[in-house]
Amino acid sequence: MTRSMMTSPTTEGRPDVPAQVFEKFLHALEGAGVSAEMVARLRKTLLEDKTYTESVLKAAVLGEESLT
Amino acid sequence: MIRVDSITIKEFRGIRDLTLDFKEKNFAVCGPNGTGKSGVVDALEFALTGSVSRLSGEGSGEISLKQHGPHVDRRNDPDKARVTVKVTIPTLSKTVTVERSLKTPGVAQVMPSDPEVLDALRQVKAHPEIVLSRRELIRYVLAAPGKRADEVRALLHLDQVEQVRRGLQKIANDCEKKLVPLDREVTEAREKLLRAIDLSELTKEKVLVVVNAQRVILGLSAFTDLTETTSLKDGMSTLGLVQPQRIPKVQAIADIRAAREVITEITSDQIATNVAEVTADLSALASDPAVAASVKRETFYTTGMELIEGGACPFCDNSWDLEELKRHVQVKIDHLEEVSRKRTVAEAKITPLIEVLGNMRTAINTLAGFAALATPPVVIDAVREYGTNCGTAVGKLTAFLPLAETITVLTNVRSVPQGVLDAIGDLEKVVAALPEPTKQDAAKEWLTVAQERLEVWRNAVRKQKAAKEQAQRARQVFDIYTATSDTVLAGLYATVEKDFSSLYEESRGTVLRNDCRIQKLQNIFLKEKGRGYQNRSLVTFLR
Repeated sequence: MTRSMMTSPTTEGRPDVPAQVFEKFLHALEGAGVSAEMVARLRKTLLEDKTYTESVLKAAVLGEESLT
Repeated sequence: MIRVDSITIKEFRGIRDLTLDFKEKNFAVCGPNGTGKSGVVDALEFALTGSVSRLSGEGSGEISLKQHGPHVDRRNDPDKARVTVKVTIPTLSKTVTVERSLKTPGVAQVMPSDPEVLDALRQVKAHPEIVLSRRELIRYVLAAPGKRADEVRALLHLDQVEQVRRGLQKIANDCEKKLVPLDREVTEAREKLLRAIDLSELTKEKVLVVVNAQRVILGLSAFTDLTETTSLKDGMSTLGLVQPQRIPKVQAIADIRAAREVITEITSDQIATNVAEVTADLSALASDPAVAASVKRETFYTTGMELIEGGACPFCDNSWDLEELKRHVQVKIDHLEEVSRKRTVAEAKITPLIEVLGNMRTAINTLAGFAALATPPVVIDAVREYGTNCGTAVGKLTAFLPLAETITVLTNVRSVPQGVLDAIGDLEKVVAALPEPTKQDAAKEWLTVAQERLEVWRNAVRKQKAAKEQAQRARQVFDIYTATSDTVLAGLYATVEKDFSSLYEESRGTVLRNDCRIQKLQNIFLKEKGRGYQNRSLVTFLR
């Protein structure tokens, strides 16, 4: 079971399913015409900072509007 | 990928001393309940990861590995509780020994301890799915097509994926909730504007007609168009037509009349009936102990229903009638669904009350503005306080919970303080005593008030539009996330399903080939209890 997951995109040679989901999600957002700024913010949050709290996601989705 | 060669378990869980030689192959452990099959899995997981998910996962509360990991006779001597596994790492062509004691679960003695070996073991530790309970396996195999993504998510402990999904969903829901008061604000601003310009509908053509009629009186040019930045007072200041600070008589009379209409409405028999009905509904709900913790309990019962299996309670091991228990829990779930339905009905009945209270707040605050300009002065403290109270009541009725506070608000909702009625009466007298404005003054007042209210309405519409766009964007992001994560996880399901089937078939073959060895193990596990052969567990060590 685990072996098959190893064939998918990995980080450090091991399966990283959340990263696969996040990558596809960001790709789909780009295809849906969502602003490039929002996609960049979400990419930083999900894939670089790996922070998933609601407040951080809100800032990524709404940008400055999250402060209003 | 690693292969487990052998395991030696000492004083761990229910096992005193056991060595199993897996010979790098799939391995099955069979035996009656309570003979230690799960202990073998726990020991393997402990050796490889330093933890036991059954003792540290959701719902395990404060169970301590140090306290509950050692054999009951060695509870005060966790150092004696030790597990040693020998594994082969094919990619490194190395055989490695890993040993841990419950005294220091986080520290493993690894031989050899090269960086590559440690890295391979770290990768194993990073996989929560190395140990799958029978329940997880069964749920996974039986997952309906629409539920497969959920099952993969649960199976792989994809907390991050789920955490992001929940976060995005909450953001979308919160953005949509914000629209409700903004919609109300737009409606109230629109009503107030329509009252000032004496129209029943807000169309550009009709507004142009009434505005130009006033402008002509003042010798101002007529508008041919209205844009979002047009000022109805355009040109007034250059012609020296500044509106003096006094009460605009015509508008004040209309607003006082509107306030009285709201007071009549809020004290009407219809509202009384409405309040009585809602109060009765809420009192009935408040007396139901299930309401206080309805959300938590609904989740608890639903999850509990999914986990009910076997012939005994997993907490106390008392036997239960499975069907009877399921019926019992279902009654509770049905009851909570009924509570939820009643809440929806009560909220629908409260909505008109919220609207009338909102109208009251707007009307009262408008009169307070006029009263501040009155000569002789009108005491408006009570009016201001009532306006604030109406706003608070709107907030509490909208929030719905806690029910006790909502019921208190309903008790007082129809009561308009005498001080407010007196102040409105005083203001009405002051306004009535104002000299009739000249045609020009009336036009100036008309345009001034109309412009103020037009601006309030424009701002409200702008805020509403921005909030709508925000809500649509947040919902779109959530929908895309849900769709893409479901696609990825469903794809994983298909792959895992195929592998699982082949591994299962392979295991069955191994079981048959090693029948003699299994028989020997059964004898080991059967030695303690004379109970019948109740169930079998298949433990597949993932390769």
